[in-house]
Amino acid sequence: MTAFGSAPGAVERQGAVGSPIQGVTLYSFTRAFHGREYDLEGLIRKVAADGYGPGLEIIGFSSFRGFPDIDDAYAGWFRDLVAEAGLVQTSLAVNADIGIHRDRLLNQDELIEYMRRQIAAAAKLGFPIARVQISIEPDSMEALAPIAEEHGVTLALEVHADQYASHPRILALRDRYEKVGSPFLGFTADWGATTVGFAPSLIEAYRRRGASEELLGEVVELWDEFYEQGPPADQADHGQRFGRFIGLAAQHGRPDLGIDFAINGTGLFGPARVDDWREIMPWIRHVHGKFFGIDENGEEPSVPVRDLVTLLVESGYDGAISSEYEGWHWNHWQSPFEIIAGEQAVQRSAAESAGSRMTTDADQARRQLAAWLPRAEGARA
Amino acid sequence: MIPDRIIEQGTLTTSGARAAVEVRIPWYRALPASCIAGAGLTIDGVAAPAESLRWEFNGRTFTFAEMATNTDDWWFPLDSAVLSGDLSVEADVEHEVSVELTLYIPYIVIGDGEVLHIEEHDTKTMTARSSADSATQEVAA
Repeated sequence: MTAFGSAPGAVERQGAVGSPIQGVTLYSFTRAFHGREYDLEGLIRKVAADGYGPGLEIIGFSSFRGFPDIDDAYAGWFRDLVAEAGLVQTSLAVNADIGIHRDRLLNQDELIEYMRRQIAAAAKLGFPIARVQISIEPDSMEALAPIAEEHGVTLALEVHADQYASHPRILALRDRYEKVGSPFLGFTADWGATTVGFAPSLIEAYRRRGASEELLGEVVELWDEFYEQGPPADQADHGQRFGRFIGLAAQHGRPDLGIDFAINGTGLFGPARVDDWREIMPWIRHVHGKFFGIDENGEEPSVPVRDLVTLLVESGYDGAISSEYEGWHWNHWQSPFEIIAGEQAVQRSAAESAGSRMTTDADQARRQLAAWLPRAEGARA
Repeated sequence: MIPDRIIEQGTLTTSGARAAVEVRIPWYRALPASCIAGAGLTIDGVAAPAESLRWEFNGRTFTFAEMATNTDDWWFPLDSAVLSGDLSVEADVEHEVSVELTLYIPYIVIGDGEVLHIEEHDTKTMTARSSADSATQEVAA
């Protein structure tokens, strides 16, 4: 099987450079929203006023009370607000809450129904993409394809650390997409799968919790060792890496930090190479520009933003990149808004260096996204 | 994820026999009652008996056993819930309040039929108000 298939679901863009749409997910501002500093309307207006758009991504269960039940009046209010702000809806992040009953997992029929309601909500709210998650397996994606087509919503399953494009579970999905041939099935590429270092801002947070320089140096070295080896060969290898972070913390008298090192070191900073995305590139419909911080040189020290933007431009990617700032978990000393602005400046610079530009005009973004994604009418292959 | 915000500062109330505090979800998205698996309330080192704990949100009061099968009521990220239990605390003096929360994260499957659960805790010091003087409803034991 070649990486670049010719199935109807795959997009062939040979020769044309892409012009990704700049945007943001409100997840980046979780602490500001949760802390009641901005309500949904305030955040949307802030995104527009500060120029983090035009692309706007929202997590349904975070931002909409009662989701996925959305009444007509609310949907109308929301769509008018986004239009008035001059933003363009890209992706609605939905969740496959397969363990919602705690004592058992949803069966296939229940899961399809659970997702159907969220896909309908995405359509009603005006989002052309629904980001879905890895707990949805190939059989379920195949079963969801006609529902996606009916609502005109593309399902973009997120490839997120500790998975990566060439992970067997992702390739199984890709192969199923190729077989099904629906243009409404694709992927969201999360840059956290292809990082190049343990985030310095997280190291700083551990420093503020009293971790020694020696311990922190060894955490960085251990991650670098795993990066050299690439993604873990299997679950046992993954477990061994997890255990070595815990061991390191214990060895330095900070067992309280062990689990944190291990979860972040193996789960947040994925060690796959940027080129790995080529395995699924024709099916990438949406991108999460996951990042953790901006350094004193104005660069992202642990996510190769420039290389990732260059790859997308050269691959003809015309979809949106939602800047997804994850450093808010530990960085309580810097404004997420300024950090987002810094990361988007790197994206724009990288796109220009690659012979293109980020799309920042809302009208152009709207037209571009409409051309990039399949339409509801006559969509069946 | 956001454990520092679990306890809402200044919300400790006492009715004499029971104490209550407002709590926030330490997670970025809404979760249904079924995923709020348990809580602990400790004041000045004394834990409220588990069977006396009650959880009030969306205008209704539940035991944790009642919530286990409830997928209709959701805890939205902006909303405060009220955790209460049998604890005798003195009004108008400072107390150290600790809350532990166990949440199931329903979309993260970590093994065969097993879903990730997280345990988060928060401790804050605040003065208790008498619930007779506050707007907070007393929760029946």
